[in-house]
Amino acid sequence: MVIVKRKELSLSERLYVPEIVRGLSITFRKMFEKKITRQYPEEPLVKTEVTRGQPRLVVKDDGAIACVSCGLCEAACPAYAITIDGGETDRPIEREPKRFDIDMLRCILCGFCEEACPKDAIFMSDELELADYSRQALVYDIEKLKRPAAAMRRRIEYVNRINDRWRDAPRPPMLVGRDAPHGAHAHSPAAAAQRPHAS
Amino acid sequence: MNDFAAKVGLTGEQLEHLLAILVRNTVILIGIISVAAVMTLVERKVSAWMQFRHGPNRVGPWGLLQPLADGVKFIFKEVVVPNGANKALYVLAPALAAVPAMMTIAVIPFANDVVLFGKNWGPLVVADIDIGILYLLAIGSMSVYGVILAGWASNSKYSLLGGLRASAQMISYELSMILAILAVVAMAGSINLREIVESQAHGGSIADWNFWKQPLACFLLLVASFAETNRHPFDFAECEPELVAGFNTEYSAMKWAIFFIGEYSAMAVMSSLSVILFFGGWSIPFLPDAPWYLGFAAFLAKTSVYLFLFVWVRWTLPRFRFDQLMRIGWKVMLPLALVNLLATGAWLTFFGPPGAP
Amino acid sequence: MSVANALFYLLAALTVVAAAGVVLLRNPIANVLSLLFAFFCLATIYLLAGFQFLAATQILVYAGAIMVLFLFVIMLLNLAPGPKAPKLEEVGLPMFLRRKSGVTVVIAAALLLLGASAILGTQSTGVEAAGAMPREGIDAIRPTPGTNDGLAAEMFGRYLLPFEAVSMLLLATAVAVVVLAKRNRPGDRSA
Repeated sequence: MVIVKRKELSLSERLYVPEIVRGLSITFRKMFEKKITRQYPEEPLVKTEVTRGQPRLVVKDDGAIACVSCGLCEAACPAYAITIDGGETDRPIEREPKRFDIDMLRCILCGFCEEACPKDAIFMSDELELADYSRQALVYDIEKLKRPAAAMRRRIEYVNRINDRWRDAPRPPMLVGRDAPHGAHAHSPAAAAQRPHAS
Repeated sequence: MNDFAAKVGLTGEQLEHLLAILVRNTVILIGIISVAAVMTLVERKVSAWMQFRHGPNRVGPWGLLQPLADGVKFIFKEVVVPNGANKALYVLAPALAAVPAMMTIAVIPFANDVVLFGKNWGPLVVADIDIGILYLLAIGSMSVYGVILAGWASNSKYSLLGGLRASAQMISYELSMILAILAVVAMAGSINLREIVESQAHGGSIADWNFWKQPLACFLLLVASFAETNRHPFDFAECEPELVAGFNTEYSAMKWAIFFIGEYSAMAVMSSLSVILFFGGWSIPFLPDAPWYLGFAAFLAKTSVYLFLFVWVRWTLPRFRFDQLMRIGWKVMLPLALVNLLATGAWLTFFGPPGAP
Repeated sequence: MSVANALFYLLAALTVVAAAGVVLLRNPIANVLSLLFAFFCLATIYLLAGFQFLAATQILVYAGAIMVLFLFVIMLLNLAPGPKAPKLEEVGLPMFLRRKSGVTVVIAAALLLLGASAILGTQSTGVEAAGAMPREGIDAIRPTPGTNDGLAAEMFGRYLLPFEAVSMLLLATAVAVVVLAKRNRPGDRSA
């Protein structure tokens, strides 16, 4: 239990008025200080590589998108915003989406699609503004989702760097299932390290 | 003009007089409503600056047209009357809250004799009556009905509590306010506001202002006017964290806006009253013979400072607790005002009125 | 009939209607509001008669302070509309003929007579003393100009007796309210 002792107020503090005058002088001085509000439409947002905006399909240098309509992003999407109809193509990748829609009103910008994509086809862009006059206009199809790789370079490099960090990290031993030491019921790597050859 | 006058059965002079009254009253009424509108913007701007923000700046240059946009918005919003509300009183209450403040502006003298088109049109005041202050206090005390009836008619406990608090607060602080004003009245020897200003204006120096003679009364009136207008730090009638929004919780659209027009009008009236009583009204120091429009400008300037003070205090001080409010009102303000009045009376008895030779 | 006179009769009628509303309406808030309206009409009558000070004081004291207090109390107690008043047949005429009631009626009638005679007597002598023509309606009580001093002189000079009669009436009302509001506790014989 904490016992908070009330501060003994001095006479001037108990009279209110001097303290009020002090407070008033502070607020008056602060009136002329620099404003911290960002004037948004005139002053654009500061966009960094970690800015996670709306998902976009990266257009490669040959003018095509890398998507093979595997459906992993569709499955990963927690908001069910992505709809994909796959189809075949004569290009070397053999499959491409006939339809790739993202309902931007459902999209929560979580970035799971970017993480799920095995072909580096979808990335979160730095576009954040989203407004239109109808709901239908905000269901983006392939053409609306296409964005040249040059414009997404920063984000792509950032994601690759993050992925490389995980790729290079030593793989932690799987402690359940096939890889677990036989008969051991260790629940943490530390416990496993202490008793590596139990039984 | 004379032909028209003859047709309606008046002499030219009478018609001129009638027109002068009409123009003057219209200008002053529109003026007070505009002041209320501008004050909403000032309030938002000043509060923003004190919090390192810009405030409204989208509508018009520097957001100057914001009150207009707000007005349009209020007019087009839906009026919701809550279930179980007393409909007649619910509709009546905003008017009761706003009308007294606008009625009291009638006795505020804005400037000395207006000389326009080579003619003296009399002082710039709607009604130059002998009982100016009494009228102002009497009508001003009516505004509590708007608040209390709004609280009751809304059929909501938050509104009711807000209304009850407001009425208790207004009754408590009215006493101190009237006693503080009485001290000035005793010194000036008149309850006509114009005469009170003239009693401070004749010397043409700052030293004649009642503020130097009655600093305590000035302070008491300031605090009492915060309480009377339900402003911070005494805005228990609309104490947001406890009462949602107080007496106007259930109000919407223009009805809600009218409460605020009333509040800001009351603020303007209280500021004008303080300026008249303590800061020489329209008189300009060292310029005793200034023309009326300069006097009018001086009056507006002084009143603006006072109005700014209202806003400034609101965005600086935290709210008192209700028991603290009552303690200050009855145990501090009232005795101080009584002692002040007593001292003033004693001074006047022993040394005579200040203006006497 | 002058405009002032017409206004006076209109306001007087409104005052009576509002006063009747105070007694007859059954919603307490409506009672208070009609009393408030009656006060305003009265204040306007004072204004018509030239008593600016009295009008302002009337509004300041009665409408501004006392009625607010009434409203305050009513809201705190959250009074519901009262029960229907019993009809005269149910109460029976004998109520007025009982001994205690008889005394009350006699006292009330005496007070009423005293007040009326005081007002009527003062007025006739006052008008004659002023040597004025008999005046009608509001003109009859219009004071000499010079509001505050004139008011004081009139109230504590010419109209002293009616003034005191009215204060007697107020006192009687206060006593009556205390008696009416008093609760009968068991073992309490007075009633």
